[in-house]
Amino acid sequence: MILAQEKLTELLQAYPPERQHTLAVFQDIQKECGYLPKEHIVAAADYLKVPLSQAYAMATFYHTFSLTPRGKHVIKVCDGTACHIKDSKGVLQSLERLLGVGLGGTDADGLFTIETVACLGCCALAPAMQIGEEYYGNLTDEIIAEVIADYRRREAGEVVA
Amino acid sequence: MTVNLMIDGLACEAAPGQHVLDVARQNGVEIPTLCHHEALAGQACCRLCVVEIEEASGSRDVVVSCTYPAKEGLKVSTNSEQVRRLRRTVLTLLAERAPLAEGALPAYCQEYGVTGYDLRFTVDKDEKCILCGLCTKACAELGNSAIETTLRGVDKQVAPPFDEPPAACIGCASCAEVCPTGAIACEDADGVRTIWEKEFELLRCEACGKPFATAEELAWLKERLLDTELNLAYCPSCRGKMSLKDLT
Repeated sequence: MILAQEKLTELLQAYPPERQHTLAVFQDIQKECGYLPKEHIVAAADYLKVPLSQAYAMATFYHTFSLTPRGKHVIKVCDGTACHIKDSKGVLQSLERLLGVGLGGTDADGLFTIETVACLGCCALAPAMQIGEEYYGNLTDEIIAEVIADYRRREAGEVVA
Repeated sequence: MTVNLMIDGLACEAAPGQHVLDVARQNGVEIPTLCHHEALAGQACCRLCVVEIEEASGSRDVVVSCTYPAKEGLKVSTNSEQVRRLRRTVLTLLAERAPLAEGALPAYCQEYGVTGYDLRFTVDKDEKCILCGLCTKACAELGNSAIETTLRGVDKQVAPPFDEPPAACIGCASCAEVCPTGAIACEDADGVRTIWEKEFELLRCEACGKPFATAEELAWLKERLLDTELNLAYCPSCRGKMSLKDLT
């Protein structure tokens, strides 16, 4: 989703035009769009007076930023040490079966994208994953299936409403 | 004010804070480097210039000489067995990263007896770049910040934004000029310079007629030298032979 010029201007002007705000601006853009569209990186670099090469370098350096469109919900499967030992790979396989797409992919409905993160910081809940702002822990195949089904029901409900 | 230090048993004088590498070179002691450039100092990236030091206090260490400050009573050993062993390791790793690197890297490998790299550690067999960052620094200081290191970890590379021919590039070729491993392709042929997949028309020197700079580069220079009366249409070689009067 590309922001309208007016909306983008409003987003940028929430910050003074200085390079130190680059990451904050990128975070805001990604929150709105789900990823960093090329034209918005260009606009942000121009506004913040940062060379485009450096803005692009920052956008590609941080794992949290995506330069390609992602699903409506980004599933972050924790692959930190504790989750790794508690079979985070099994969580990924379970999601792959349910969504028909592998790590880094977006499902056919454009609803989910599967990613991994190094650690969510909730090791006591291992294996864990994060969808949007929600955390899900002590995952089993059954719990994962229920969580995904729940999201799908909600989406279907939204469409009907 | 000067400080006195010993480099390989040779008594040397240095300005306080002057880097050990520069002091050594001034005194004829050669230390190998790849990422060091006099005009763009402070990279401290290739680690080839490691030396052993002993402080006046007696504490010993291994440091990179290109950024280590000269101090009173410092003893530096630039070619000890330990130093050579460390340099062999550095060279092995760099050569494995960039098997096709040209110039000083393969020459140093030969000098230090580094042969038969372990290709298990080679990510790209066609790689020439050791990611020292001299090109991006040159671009930021002499050019127009057209290139940067992008991505990270094993995927890190030097590239223009979005891997497209960079709009900001003025074709000055500073990046290719400073690259120690010949990793940046730049070709001048038939009055056209091709670099970063962009083509620039080369202007001819008004005195000798040789193609020497791009129009974009001269326009950019003019912009920076706001009040200049200098005629920029002469190549550096001809400019050197002219008086200031000829140039204005």
